[in-house]
Amino acid sequence: MFRKFGLSMFSRRRFLGDALAAMGAASASGLTTRVLASEKMIKIGFLAPLTGPVAAWGKPGLDGCQIWAEWINAAGGVKLADGNYTVEFVGYDNEYDPAKARTGATKLVREDGVKFIMMLGGDTWPGAQPVADKTGMLFSTLLPSDLGPDTGTLLAPAEVHPIYNVTGVEWLAENKPDLKTAVMCAQDDALGLPSVATYLAAFEAAGIEMQDAPLLFDPATTDFAPVVTKLLSTNPQIVCLDTCYSDYVHPIAEQLFQQGYEGQIISCTADFYDQMIEKTSVEFMEGFVFQFPDFDDPALNADGINFANPNKFFEEYNKRHPGEWGAVSWEYAAIMDLWKAAAEKAGSAEPDAVLAAMKEGGKGLHAFGEADWWGKDLFGIDNALVGNWPVVVIEGGKARIKGFKSIPEWYAKHGDLLKKHMAAYGQMWDQRA
Amino acid sequence: MLLALPHGLSFSQQEILVFLTINVLLVASYRLLTLTGEWSLGHVVIMGVGAYASALYSKHFGVPVPVSMALGAGTAALIAMFLSYPLFRMKGFYFLIGSFAAGEIIRLLWKRFRDPFGGPKGLKRIEPMPDFDLGIWQFDFFEPVCYYYFALAVVAFCLWLMWRIERSHVGLTFHAVHWQDKLAEAAGVNVRAYRTLAFVIASGFAGLSGALLAHYIGTINPNSFDVEMMVFVLTWAIVGGTTTFYGPILGCIVLTILNEIVLREMGFEQARPLIYGLVLIASILFLPKGLESVVQRLVRPRAEKMEERP
Repeated sequence: MFRKFGLSMFSRRRFLGDALAAMGAASASGLTTRVLASEKMIKIGFLAPLTGPVAAWGKPGLDGCQIWAEWINAAGGVKLADGNYTVEFVGYDNEYDPAKARTGATKLVREDGVKFIMMLGGDTWPGAQPVADKTGMLFSTLLPSDLGPDTGTLLAPAEVHPIYNVTGVEWLAENKPDLKTAVMCAQDDALGLPSVATYLAAFEAAGIEMQDAPLLFDPATTDFAPVVTKLLSTNPQIVCLDTCYSDYVHPIAEQLFQQGYEGQIISCTADFYDQMIEKTSVEFMEGFVFQFPDFDDPALNADGINFANPNKFFEEYNKRHPGEWGAVSWEYAAIMDLWKAAAEKAGSAEPDAVLAAMKEGGKGLHAFGEADWWGKDLFGIDNALVGNWPVVVIEGGKARIKGFKSIPEWYAKHGDLLKKHMAAYGQMWDQRA
Repeated sequence: MLLALPHGLSFSQQEILVFLTINVLLVASYRLLTLTGEWSLGHVVIMGVGAYASALYSKHFGVPVPVSMALGAGTAALIAMFLSYPLFRMKGFYFLIGSFAAGEIIRLLWKRFRDPFGGPKGLKRIEPMPDFDLGIWQFDFFEPVCYYYFALAVVAFCLWLMWRIERSHVGLTFHAVHWQDKLAEAAGVNVRAYRTLAFVIASGFAGLSGALLAHYIGTINPNSFDVEMMVFVLTWAIVGGTTTFYGPILGCIVLTILNEIVLREMGFEQARPLIYGLVLIASILFLPKGLESVVQRLVRPRAEKMEERP
């Protein structure tokens, strides 16, 4: 009886039919990464995790780049010395694995003939690094802790993670001076540790006392109740969530809510914060400080902002990928703005020409204003573009930019503190294994 | 054919071929372990032990890379021997969970001790295989073709050794321990010693595969040897089948080609986990005895026909 029922519900023919339908649907729903080619075209590589647990910091970036490419191509493409070129992105899912990053870099450089490769970086950069060194290809990373003097063709032009986190703490100290004690937790990995060092320096500079050593949890952690209980045991005024992945930020915020915390929360990211509000409450999330704005923010229409049509970009992104806007949705597109400007200035898309044009004069147009090529102190090479960074606060259930703070100005005053804490966590470029 | 193979492939396919060759050694060594009936969830971590050990020997003590690879394999076997004392007090499901726990302890140690293991970021700039020049042939081991030939020679030799072991008196005893452990014990076979022996030998080969990987990509970290990678090894073994020597190797080759070449070339970059999962379910539904059963079905009738001929 059971067997008969099972067979009638799930025949081989039906299984194969459903499987083919699913494959067709996946293909038709735009999961492929290529766009239509044209005759004069420049290919740009996108080598980031598109599947797996770190995909949230890869796939939204590629989605944003597709919008960028459509807009640029519709406006005539990239104007080089020998004519106009359209742009096509070639994606390769490295699954946040260094071996696959190496394979992907090889494919993009030696088979697809890309002129520039954007990466998330982190664990995957050492896999791609030998390919960069051997071929001279221009790469970008979102994580400047990948930078080092050994590879001059790696840039961090959009995000100087985690250094910009100092701006959130600085804003907090200026606007809520009564907050004097803090605790912090972070996953114990390549992303969490430099951020811990940065927050420690920022809290020390702001005169905020750490009540306990940062609580480092294993990235495999799924139950955050004990983590939060320990954090709250000292009754802190500020809970800092460091640069936790969204898979951690959400359950930690939920636990803070359930365990009755009513103080200040500061975090590097708050991706999909609307879901956090659903799990907690508008009141609980009120005043949550983080670093990544929604691009429908009116503050992004101010003079000096170099990201083209941020409000329209946000609207289009949400139309195509509702509920998927995250920290990296705009960042890779912002890198492409810089790359396009440099390529047009050089009249060529060749990596060495673009690199020279990009760094000419030691300044560049970052998404949030003019910025300096900087980083010799921390990274051993001036390949990070550093300027202003927004401080974002959730108010009435919506993220709003409360101001732009200067990272170089903070560093000029407190750079020694940052170096001290970075060195203590083994994060200076010359300490890396 | 294997010698000519890389020349018919693209650059990225050559890279995949190198990793595939290394994974063939890993999955074949896993089958050697399963001969005694025990399935481990720590095999990939043992591979990592070989990778870390070999990287550290060459990085900190200046040991030549080929020697450090052999030492890495030896270290993995040694660690396996230590682990076998507590682990082989358990059997079946308990051994499976125990091996997972032991592997996680090792992974946590790599994360905890930044010196010498590099912590969560692992080790970078691991010494590559030194290039050499034979006059007519220059070997630049950054190039996947050169490293493929090197890995192929090492893996072929290891497979031959494993084949010989399985067909030796020791190998037959492994089978006896699996299928008739009480009877074997009654016949005077030290069942635990043979289980330990299979575990140690398999771990040595797994460690060597880790060393081959480390010196090719130049970086390793604890996440490279996590349970997700272990699931891939299990999948290769299950889909390929474990009753024959070639079963898991077949599973590894077919699934790697499907996942890394076919689906990517078809443009299903982001849908690969979905399709890969569907293929796995389909293979379990329609090929419960693994891909090796297809080969057996194809080969047997021919063999029978040959026998029928006068």
